[in-house]
Amino acid sequence: MEIDREDGRTPNQLRPLACSRNILHRPHGSASWSQGDTKVLAAVYGPKAGTKKNENAEKACFEVIWKPKTGQIGKVEKEYEMIMKRTIQSICVLTVNPNTTTSVIIQVVHDDGSLLPCAINAACAALVDAGIPMKHLAVAICCCLADNGYLVLDPNKLEEKKMTAFAYLVFPNTTLSVLPEGSSVAEGEPVEHGIITSVTHGVMSVDDYFLCVENGRAATASLSAFFRKNFQQSQKDSSKAG
Amino acid sequence: MGTEVSTSPTSLIDQTVVPGDIVLDLSNMTNQTIKLGSGLRQDNDSISAMRAGKLRYSKPNKYWVESSHKRYIPRPEDHVLGIVVDCKGENYWVDIKGPQLALLPVLAFEGANKRNYPKFEVSTLLYTRVVKTNTGMNPELSCVDESGKAAVFGPLKDGFMFETSTGLSRMLLSSPTCPVLEALGKKLSFETAFGLNGRCWVHAAAPRIVIIVANALMNSETLSGTQQRIMVEKLLEKISD
Repeated sequence: MEIDREDGRTPNQLRPLACSRNILHRPHGSASWSQGDTKVLAAVYGPKAGTKKNENAEKACFEVIWKPKTGQIGKVEKEYEMIMKRTIQSICVLTVNPNTTTSVIIQVVHDDGSLLPCAINAACAALVDAGIPMKHLAVAICCCLADNGYLVLDPNKLEEKKMTAFAYLVFPNTTLSVLPEGSSVAEGEPVEHGIITSVTHGVMSVDDYFLCVENGRAATASLSAFFRKNFQQSQKDSSKAG
Repeated sequence: MGTEVSTSPTSLIDQTVVPGDIVLDLSNMTNQTIKLGSGLRQDNDSISAMRAGKLRYSKPNKYWVESSHKRYIPRPEDHVLGIVVDCKGENYWVDIKGPQLALLPVLAFEGANKRNYPKFEVSTLLYTRVVKTNTGMNPELSCVDESGKAAVFGPLKDGFMFETSTGLSRMLLSSPTCPVLEALGKKLSFETAFGLNGRCWVHAAAPRIVIIVANALMNSETLSGTQQRIMVEKLLEKISD
């Protein structure tokens, strides 16, 4: 059973991606990430000395500030902030700069579906631009389930509204390795098979959820490749002097 | 894209790496000492990258990831430009654009003793070197070199300080002399001090020369050698009339 998407994409096809780094002058790292019409700007300040009151002083602390396009900051924004803070904490190496705070500020420029994954990708790109030490990158994708049981990746706003359930999934990126094949295992499974964050809305069966995870993971390869290529391109453009 | 995973690259040296890339396999490198520079960390039997940049190797055994950022990670024996933030007891607190404020002992100057030591006001610009950096502790600075002489270190008076990325200041400090500095030095006379933490200081007799030099340096970040020379020539032509 085929599903017809309005913009003519296949179910597993992502919208066109665009990413640019070092776009803002004041922050120590900044990036803008857009998937189709959804666009998010991320800025990173830090690491700065000192942590907040209840935070562990032996680790680096992260704070996320989410700024919506319009309206006041409410519960939805606070929830996004918490999810992003946990995601960032799990991908960054916390022991390198203890007793410091790094602030990540997310500004929504346009929301056309799949907003949180777009923001996570933007924050990751901004952290790379700022030089914050990380264990690996995070690639985020939105996977949703229609009434007839069909799975669709990277929906836009209209598609999201029609779906019965959707899941935001964040995976580690696919890495290059000089190790011979099959030796980058951690507890019996390659590191790329891990999952960092999963946020679900709506009702879906367990099998459908696992199918979502599989499809999402398959798409991370193209997202990782895009990120790597984008980074190499900007390195080439800016380092002709060597 | 992404189909190159089937054949793992034999070496990532001089290639762009992103965080997570495993760059060295230690299991077949026993009995060797390897020095890891910035941007690399050890993960049991493999070395992986923490920052995105170019992987570099220098014989005999040094590996590091070269990247340019707006903040600075302190390393011993780096020369940096610091700004005094406070003076408490025996130390000056100095901002060097790093994750922590740095400490500069009041006695770390040539010929300083308890009764006679230099007193700096807040926001004085100092040329110092990094002595010690330990995780979790504030980095320590000093204004004397190993033999106890002041050499080039100390406060910088007058002039103009501007901030750049660490990559640009590395390029300006590289030897042989950077083309933009050579080209400027042929026609103008000025004094400069570059800190590896992304701060540059320029001083000349007339303010217009300071501005010309500062603008030329800031514009030269993404230009190649010949482009830098052309840029400087055009700039000097414009102002010579």
